[in-house]
Formats: sequence, C-alpha cells, structure tokens
Amino acid sequence: MGHMTKSKWRALDHCDGSSDRDDANVVQDADQVVSNQQISDEWIIIKDSQNIDVTTTDRQAAVSLQLGIEAAIAAVINISIGNGSQSDSITQGIRQMVNTRQGNRQKTIVEQSRDIEITTRDTDVAVNIQLLFQILAAIVASLDIL
Amino acid sequence: MNDKSSNPNAIPEKVAKVMIDEIFRKNNVNPEEIKNNLSNDQKKMLKDMVEDLREQVNQFNKGEKDTTKTDE
Repeated sequence: MGHMTKSKWRALDHCDGSSDRDDANVVQDADQVVSNQQISDEWIIIKDSQNIDVTTTDRQAAVSLQLGIEAAIAAVINISIGNGSQSDSITQGIRQMVNTRQGNRQKTIVEQSRDIEITTRDTDVAVNIQLLFQILAAIVASLDIL
Repeated sequence: MNDKSSNPNAIPEKVAKVMIDEIFRKNNVNPEEIKNNLSNDQKKMLKDMVEDLREQVNQFNKGEKDTTKTDE
C-alpha cells in the first residue's frame, strides 16, 4: 500500500498484511444495525474504525411487541363490539391517538476511531409501546375485564 | 391495579381513559352493555392476553434501561 501523500490515519491499517485478526465482524455488525429501520429512522455509520461496540434498541423485539399489542387491541374490540363499521371507526379513532408519535431520526457517525462504546436509545419506540399498551389497558378497564 | 413503579406512563392513565371513553361515546358504544355481553371465558381470555402483554412490555422497558454491556 503506497501512500502518495500523508494519508489519513485508519484504525485498521495495522490489519493490512500480516495481521491474522478477523475484523470482518465489525463491519457486519454495523450493517445489521443499519438494515433494520422499520418504525424509526436510525442510522449508525461506522467507518475506518475498530472495536466499536454498538448497543441499540432491539428493533425486532420492539416491532413484534408493537404488533402484538395492536393485535390485542383489535381482538378486544372485535370480541366486545363485533367487526362491523362501528368497530372500524373505533379502531381508526384509536389509531389517531397513536399516530402522532411516529418518526424518530437519529444518526450516529463514528469515523477513524477505536475502542468506543455506543449506546443509543430509541425513546420514541419505547413511548409508542407504552402508549399502545396503556390504550389497551384503558379499553379493557372500561369494559371491566381487568 | 397497575404497577406504576417501574416505568413512567407515556400519557397519564386518566388521559388514556378519557380518550377511550370519548371514542366509545362517539361511536355509540355503551361499555355497560358490552360488559354483560362478554362471557366469563371471554373475559378471562382477554385478561390473560393483557397480563401477558404487560409482562412483555415490562421486560422490554427493562431491556431499554439496562445499559450494561457484556463482552463475550
């Protein structure tokens, strides 16, 4: 690797050539974090870096939990009110309560770094789940189920 | 009835109740009537479902707050 001018420092430079350490998993981990953007828009970009630990909201768990609560709300409404236009309208009303809280954008960029721990929290997702569950709880409470 | 200790609510409980009551009212749903239409089995099933989800939500919130990182 010939440098014409003084090149930028790269954390992985020492891996070129003889080093047998496998750092491919660093890149792969970052890829996986970026690929799951279902309910919010989170970017974590890691470049020319080594040994970066990323802890972020478990998107998969969040999505399935959110879907689970939504399904439960639908089930409660269908069982108690039936599934005609009345329940559609109720479901829509509930959706409007929740819809105001979407859209979280965060970008984290790590460049030319080494030994860093990143922890991001998608508070919007947590709030959404909490809100959905509260709605479910309020519905069953008003129907005297709990 | 609710455990408020571990996680703060997204919105106050009363607000959620008011909103749901309002949605029911707008759609001519009378909760009193529905209560009588639900069988005990149905109530139990729904109750179990909600309790199960409550547990999952608490678990999720716990994970959110747990910032310790294990190196393996």
